[in-house]
Formats: sequence, structure tokens, C-alpha cells
Amino acid sequence: MENGNNQLNPCAIRIEDLSVRFDGRAVINHVNLEVCQGGPTFLLGRSGSGKTTLLRAINRLNECFPGCETSGRIRLNLGGKWAEVYGPGTPVEMLRRQAGMVFQSPNVLPLSVERNMSLPLRTALGLSADECAQRVEQALREVHLWEEVRDRLAAPATTLSGGQQQRLCLARALALRPEILLLDEPTASLDFKAARQIEDLLAELKSRYTLLVVSHSLSQAHRLAEQVFVLRDGGRVERLAENVFRDKEALLAAMDELV
Amino acid sequence: MTSGASITERAVCILSWVSALTVPAVLWTLMGFLLWRGAPGWSLALFFGDTAPLDALLRGAPVFDGLWPACLGTLELVGLAAGIAVPLGVASGVYLAEYASGRSRQVFSFCVDLLAGIPSILMGLFGFALILLLRRTVAPAANTGLLLSALCLSLLVLPYLISTTRLSIEGLPQELRLAGACLGLSHGQVVGRILLPAAMHGVFSGIILAVGRAAEDTAVILLTGVVANAGTPSSLTGKYEALPFHIYYLAAEHQSPAQLTQAFASALVLLCLTGLMFAAARLLHARLEKKWKTGTTS
Repeated sequence: MENGNNQLNPCAIRIEDLSVRFDGRAVINHVNLEVCQGGPTFLLGRSGSGKTTLLRAINRLNECFPGCETSGRIRLNLGGKWAEVYGPGTPVEMLRRQAGMVFQSPNVLPLSVERNMSLPLRTALGLSADECAQRVEQALREVHLWEEVRDRLAAPATTLSGGQQQRLCLARALALRPEILLLDEPTASLDFKAARQIEDLLAELKSRYTLLVVSHSLSQAHRLAEQVFVLRDGGRVERLAENVFRDKEALLAAMDELV
Repeated sequence: MTSGASITERAVCILSWVSALTVPAVLWTLMGFLLWRGAPGWSLALFFGDTAPLDALLRGAPVFDGLWPACLGTLELVGLAAGIAVPLGVASGVYLAEYASGRSRQVFSFCVDLLAGIPSILMGLFGFALILLLRRTVAPAANTGLLLSALCLSLLVLPYLISTTRLSIEGLPQELRLAGACLGLSHGQVVGRILLPAAMHGVFSGIILAVGRAAEDTAVILLTGVVANAGTPSSLTGKYEALPFHIYYLAAEHQSPAQLTQAFASALVLLCLTGLMFAAARLLHARLEKKWKTGTTS
């Protein structure tokens, strides 16, 4: 893999020789990857190339599925210190709070808007009601949802529109104060306008969080990305040079060649 | 060909309508019959006999010829049995759905199925044999009573609770688990704060099934401590009266039409009592669900 991070921000996620198998079937084979702070870093590839599995290896979410085996090493730069994702001393709950995740379709819990935000804060962090309310408002403001939902906090979250639900999920992750955000095709289930809102948000959030985005949309990568990787079917990862993904035609040609 | 198909289709349609209507028809016929035969027997005397109702309710005056002791006995019996069976059954269901793996899951599910297949009279015999064993070994003074009946009843209803809890947790979408996990909740927190509350509807239908079964069962209590004229239950190990046994006793041994009417009236009382318990369970369910979904009960 080409290593041209010198001009970019320091490294935030370092993946070395990562392999993931489900019931003995290899989904990811010996992948190496370095994601720099900020971003957004885009991870492109065909359906089934293992993008989601790679993303879920970073917060160890693959372990929620039976028959998963992971080997290799992933380190996260959290607050200036390197944390071993698969180290025996790393608490997985802390790790998942530090590396928040947003899914392809908004997975709000079947609770009120406010409870969606406060349940993890109260349960995982043990915050008091006051601290909790403060963080909820702050996170909802950060995703520009506060004005829209401030009068509907007690309403079921499923009554929000798809775009609002996705922003709620983003806010829910942000309220836990992560350093890294893993986004799995965050705009794939949204209409054009809601997708644009999420994209604008990513552009705002990149100064405060490291963003790693799995996407199918080349034009999205073209508009937003600071770094682009392509996951090929054989499990190899190619880094695209900046002049390639900044140029639409070149990006298309490169993708045709790679996947 | 087409007309043949459409005739079959119509026949199936009619048959399903008839089957669907049979259930409420049977239910209402049964209730109507019970009301018709039982309602004339309803009076304060049915409940309290010759004792003044206020004396019985407030001062615990003994009631000799009324249903009041049997009502109390059934309530205490069902309460005790549910108190034992609900925590055990729900916990076992959660274990089978979330924690057991491979071989242990198979073995445990087999045991639950086996327990579900045991006839209630055997459960009563088990309780009776248990007391005999206790008397011969560690506790010579042990005797059948309320607690023993409740224990045996809880064994009887345990499989309902385990199966409904397990199935309703297993039927939840995977996204709930993933959402909880990626928010930094531990497995125990995901189970306790998300999965179990989300499966509450199923759990409560299991509780209602169990309560209904415990309230109506006669075979178990017949062998483990119920008697015809015990008065209000005095202690956990004492003898007690219960409605299903009272009904069975009156129906089998009645000597006058008035006593048969009393049996029908008692059956109506049992029906109302279980109805009240179901209503209480529904109310509790609604409150718990509201608390989970919005964080408040108001």
C-alpha cells in the first residue's frame, strides 16, 4: 500500500494484517490500512467486498454475530494514546463509545426521541438527569435537529422522517463524546435532500472527529473526501491519489479498473 | 379448472369464517350459560355466609359458609406461585435466548419441553411425595399447605413463562442488539435495558397464561393442601381453601339445586377474579412500557 500520509493529519486508525472470517469463510484477507485524523476518509468498493465487515472490525461489532473470527491488529489513536482494539485489556464498551457508529438505515430504538438519546447516557455512562439533558440538547444542536424536535422529545422516534432519524442516530453517537465516527453508507436510505443535509453535517464534523465513511456514491466521495481507499474483491486495499478522486472522470476510470 | 379452483377457494373462505366465528361463539355461549346459571346465586351471603361482611373484611372475623376464604386462598396461591415462577421463568427464558449456546441450549430446551408435558396430577403427586420424604428425613412435622401448593403450581406454569420469554426475545430484530452494542452498552445492559423491555408484550402474555393456569388448576392443590373448610389462610404452611376446589367439591357432592347454583356462582366468581388479575397484569404492562419508552410513568 502506498504510504503518503506525510502531508495529511496524523494517523487515527491503523489496521495491520486484518483478516475476518465468518464460519471459516474469509471476508477480509490481510488488509492494511491507515486512516488519518479528520477526514472524511471514504472506503469504496463493490457490494460484498467486505466494507461493512472492515468497518465493524474497528469497533468489534462483528463479535455480535456468531462464527466470527478476527486476526490481525487494529490500533486507534484516542486522545493521543494508542489503544489496541483487540488487546485483552481493552474494554469493548469503552471502545465502542469512543468509535461511534451510524448505520445504513437509521436504527432508532422503539423509544421516545429523548429516551433514544438518554438511555445510553444513563445506562452506559451513568450520568445524572441534569448532565444528561445538557448533553442531549448539545448533541441535537450539533446535528441541527434541536429546533425540529425540541417540542416532540416525548414523541416516538419512529414518527420522525428518515433524514431526522438518521440525524438522531448521529446525535446519539455524538452524545457519547467519541473521537472517531464510523459511518456505514449513512445516506443510502435517504432522499436527495436529507442526504445533502447529512453530507453538510459531515463537512462540519470533520474538524472535531475522525470520520470513516463507507459509501457507494462516487460523487459523494468526489465532493467530500480527504482520503479515498478502494477495497478490492481479493481483500486488497488501494489508496487513491488526491488528483484521482478530485477529478470525476479519473475517479470513474480508476474505479472501473479496480473493482 | 378455474371454476374448480374458485369453488375450493370459496369453500376455504367460508370454512375459515366459520372457524374464526366459532371461537367467540363458544366463548360467549359459555359465559352466557355461566351468567344464566350463576348470577341468581350472587349475593353477599354467597361470599360471607352469616358473618357480617365488614367484620370479615376489616377485623378478619371467620367466615364459615361463604366464598370469601376461598377467594383469598386463590389470590394468595396465585400470587405466591407467580412470585416464584415469574422471576425464574423469565430468567430462564433470557438465558436460553441470549446466553446458552450449542449443547446446553439443546439440553435445557428439551427439559423445558418435557416439563411442559407433565400432567398436573403428577405435579401434585410430586408435591405429596416431597412432603412424605421431608417427614421421614429432616422435618418430621412437615405437612401439605399453601406454600407447597404454590411451589408445585409454579413448576406447572414455568414452561409457559420460559417459552414465551425466549421466543419473544429471539424474535426481536438484530438491529436492536447492534444498536445497543454500538452505543457502548455491555451485553447484560443490552439484554436488561433494551431486549427484555422490547419483548415485554410477549413476556406478559406468558404471565397471563401462567396466572390463568395457576388459578384454575385443581389436581395439584387437591394433593398438596387444599381442604373444604379451612377458613382464611393463616400461614404459609397452613391449609387453605381455593375456588376451583370449592367448585369441584360443590359440583360433585351437591345435595340440593341451591348448592348447584352456588357452584355456578362460584365459577362466575373465579372467572371474575382471573379477569381482575389479567387486568392488573395489563395495567402493570402498560405502566412498565410507558416508563421504558419515555422514561416517565406520568
